[in-house]
Amino acid sequence: MTIRSLCITAVAALSMAAGVAVAASYPEAPIVYDKPVKGVVFSHKIHVDKGMACDMCHNRIFEQQAKKAQENKDFVMESLYQGKYCGACHNGSLAFASNTRCATCHVGVKGETRLKSGGMPGKTGH
Amino acid sequence: MNKNIDLNNLQNEGVENVPMQERRDFLKMGLAITGIFAGGSLFSAISTFNSAHASDFAKKYPYKPHYSMVMQQHRCIDCERCMEACVATNHVPKVHGAYRTTILEKETPDAVGGKREFIPILCNQCNLPQCTRVCPTKATYKDKTTGIVLMDIKKCIGCLTCQEGCPYNARYFNEEKKAVDKCNFCWDTRLSKGEKDTACAHACPADVRIFGDLSNQEDRVFKIVHQIERPVWVLRPEAGTRPNVFYTKG
Repeated sequence: MTIRSLCITAVAALSMAAGVAVAASYPEAPIVYDKPVKGVVFSHKIHVDKGMACDMCHNRIFEQQAKKAQENKDFVMESLYQGKYCGACHNGSLAFASNTRCATCHVGVKGETRLKSGGMPGKTGH
Repeated sequence: MNKNIDLNNLQNEGVENVPMQERRDFLKMGLAITGIFAGGSLFSAISTFNSAHASDFAKKYPYKPHYSMVMQQHRCIDCERCMEACVATNHVPKVHGAYRTTILEKETPDAVGGKREFIPILCNQCNLPQCTRVCPTKATYKDKTTGIVLMDIKKCIGCLTCQEGCPYNARYFNEEKKAVDKCNFCWDTRLSKGEKDTACAHACPADVRIFGDLSNQEDRVFKIVHQIERPVWVLRPEAGTRPNVFYTKG
């Protein structure tokens, strides 16, 4: 093999080791907010699989840091209805309106427990 | 007359043998609540409702106040702040199966749109409680002033027949009190001390639990229960217990 092909292989291997692929990587595990209420889930995977790029949200709407948004006092539904946070798209036109399908994101304490135990019912439930 | 009861040959005395006056009194309460069980559509059949005066309602809702709760079920997000508030206020043991109020979850996989509902449940303070009927020691009773089904824990022998009889799974055995426990609309911890609502209704951030007085026509609970634009229902009406907790959505 040539030096050039060896270098390319090395860079590719290092890139894979560093978790960088051709497409940008993202946290695949769902993010669960707990303030102001518990059990609110956001899934990167669902949104990325719809073809959305990182900067569609991480340009202005959200910080690129998990659960940073809930540190704001206005992280409430009324803000979403006014187009802030998730409401920027979830307004009924671009995506389902944020005052519908509540339990899609509000999976609740029960939903969060299921997510943590890998989809199996929690030990305390039956 | 034979003083020994022959248990092998007991006769059913039959409802036709109940005196007419008792049946009338029994039904007066029932008629007021019955219309609600058919999803609110029977109100028009009870003509007095639409043109009633204040005095008529006082007879239909004999308790003053007639405590009641409406659940706006579609707004529940299982944040469980209500459960936390209840446990803290009423010292409910943190043991599996011990709850005064809890949230049920229902999935409808084929539904268009949202597929999951959360349903808060608690003691319905029934107007015809099965639990008080079966208690052998009168440890539980429906209070004559407030209508709340209360516990007199020193009389409870832990037979758990009330727990069996409750159609709403509202009762549990409290090991610390060595007696059955259940929601009492925070009577001893809040209402009797001047608070206007229960701990759970106070804690709910989503306006799910609306606590109020059915005997007051200005009360929000009264207005929701007596309107016909949104469906209002009770859980397990076939049990015949005539609950005081109502559910609505939409």
